[in-house]
Amino acid sequence: MAARETCLVCQIVGNKIPSKKVYEDDVVMAVLDVNGANPGHCFIMPKNHYPIIEQVPDIEVGRLFQVSNKISSAIFESLGAQGTNIFVANGIPAGQTVAHFTINVIPRKENDGINLQWQPKQLSEEEMSTVELKLKEQTKNIGYFEKEEKKPRIYAPKPKMLSDEEEEYFSRQLRRLP
Amino acid sequence: MAEQISPEQLKALQEKIKNMSPEELKEFQKKQCIFCQIIAGKVQSRKVYEDEKVIALLDINPANPGHVLLLTKEHYSIMPQIPDDEVSYVFMVSKALSNSMLRSIDAQGTNVIVANGIAAGQRAQHFMAHIIPRKENDGINFTLPQKAMEQNEVEAVGNKLIAALGGTAEKEEKSSIPSLKMQEPKKKESESKDIDLDDISKLLGVK
Repeated sequence: MAARETCLVCQIVGNKIPSKKVYEDDVVMAVLDVNGANPGHCFIMPKNHYPIIEQVPDIEVGRLFQVSNKISSAIFESLGAQGTNIFVANGIPAGQTVAHFTINVIPRKENDGINLQWQPKQLSEEEMSTVELKLKEQTKNIGYFEKEEKKPRIYAPKPKMLSDEEEEYFSRQLRRLP
Repeated sequence: MAEQISPEQLKALQEKIKNMSPEELKEFQKKQCIFCQIIAGKVQSRKVYEDEKVIALLDINPANPGHVLLLTKEHYSIMPQIPDDEVSYVFMVSKALSNSMLRSIDAQGTNVIVANGIAAGQRAQHFMAHIIPRKENDGINFTLPQKAMEQNEVEAVGNKLIAALGGTAEKEEKSSIPSLKMQEPKKKESESKDIDLDDISKLLGVK
């Protein structure tokens, strides 16, 4: 894919651009942002090229955030941070600048000049209800991931179901028996 | 919460908290936590998703219409306290909620934000992920400042992190994060399958 060759993050993953790696495994890589919001600001990214989170397979999403959590803990422990932010921008209107899904983990200190706050918007009860209903209509599709995978699977042969024709044939055969 | 506590009562309370076992403390925190009460159904909320591990609510002070708070049902104050498999699960649901926003309320993008600690902007004593639907020119600005680091600082900070992560930055043959099989999860056929993700990413302006 052409996107991979021009993608800045893919070039970091492929070691074509030098970086300070802090973690790497078969699917995830984490590097220090040298122009970070605070010293210790890290990027966690999938090695495969996915522009947005919706394209990242569930299992990789899980792994990416586990690593982010570990890095967040390491920032608390080793850099004396008073807090951490996990920040994802998904899509250009959300502030995404590189077309490769990345998670930012940012060490925080009081009055460090970072602003991840928002001005609350006032919505009427009716507007809230409309949004709630629309979202619920979609979220009812959620819930297929992982759950089944965790349970041990039992490979019992399923009872064979017969189609109507077979059933008829079968019962006719049976009636022929003495 | 509006009741005034006398200094004696406060002192007695502090003493009580000091003498609690970790289990008692957790139970105490849970009782004080407004989100635990929402989860228990004692306080009203607008739920948009719920299963046995997590619950997603509409934020009553939203950054944008459709701003969702995703909470673990178990009481954790901050993310580092959450077990690995639950972390995975929370963010798989975050992904699905983000996806739902693109499909149902015309979001053109989403932000996922977690704040650990007051310095990071955390306000409630219960872990949550904010999932915020975004549109162009919606008045939200999350631009992060850029502070250039000296090369020796990069090395020093990086090495501290590597040490705290308990390893080298060299590729580990076996992931230090166990219990994950690299397997495509089974997908349930979604009713809204007609929207292609590649189309969405084009729509969002990312190639």
